[in-house]
Amino acid sequence: MSIQQQQTGSSHLIRISGRLDQAQTPQLEAVLNSLLEASHYHFIIELTETTYINSGGLRSLVSAWRKARQQAGNLILFGLNERLQEIFSMVGFDKVFQIYPDAAAAREAMQKIVNNAL
Amino acid sequence: MGEKNVLILPGRYENIRRICQFVTEGATRSGLDETAVFHIELACDEASANIIEHTYGAEDGGDIHISWHVAGNMFIVTILDNGPRFNPGTVPPPPSASHPPQPDDVDNIRVGGLGMHFMRQLMDEVTFDYTPDQGNTLVMKKKLPAKMDKQ
Repeated sequence: MSIQQQQTGSSHLIRISGRLDQAQTPQLEAVLNSLLEASHYHFIIELTETTYINSGGLRSLVSAWRKARQQAGNLILFGLNERLQEIFSMVGFDKVFQIYPDAAAAREAMQKIVNNAL
Repeated sequence: MGEKNVLILPGRYENIRRICQFVTEGATRSGLDETAVFHIELACDEASANIIEHTYGAEDGGDIHISWHVAGNMFIVTILDNGPRFNPGTVPPPPSASHPPQPDDVDNIRVGGLGMHFMRQLMDEVTFDYTPDQGNTLVMKKKLPAKMDKQ
């Protein structure tokens, strides 16, 4: 269970491993909030190794997505397994977030978002 | 009716994982597949979090009493708390029902009521009951695979 972040150009890649539940969500919120407070608004969230998410985890992603969008940024996702895809679509969040199958597609999409924001 | 397995823990977020493990071990032993076990895990997670956050209002507001058993073709989870009456009718409707969220509706995406929505979607039956002496009783049922019907 870990949250790793890395800056790639104008965006930040945040890799969530393990369970995004009550134990880990506060860490994710702390990472995202500290970046938002430092005026970073472009996030790629990697969920390739995320095995579980609950409503609290979803709320933390929506909250950061909302703050990023309000500043002409975005928070996009990639690498959801079947279970996560089921959870996102169950509440319509697969239509809210831009979701990509892999890192390359997500990076390309984020580059366009960053270019449009300039 | 199968034997009832019972766990009682203080209502703390750190105990939710244990509550879920207790139920999912029972679900696996009862013959449910991985997907069904995952559904039950998330439903129990959301139910427990709702009790701590909404019924008790905070951690250490009271105990969570959780049990599982098999009856007929159903795996049945029962969760009790002794907080004030919980009225499921006050929970906002899920975001995807009649008004699916839109990506451009940045300020208005609703995130309340997600847990209740998951419980209702993931389980085959969800019922709430309340009595002043017993508190709230939540019963969630998941159908067992056909071959397990006679257990």
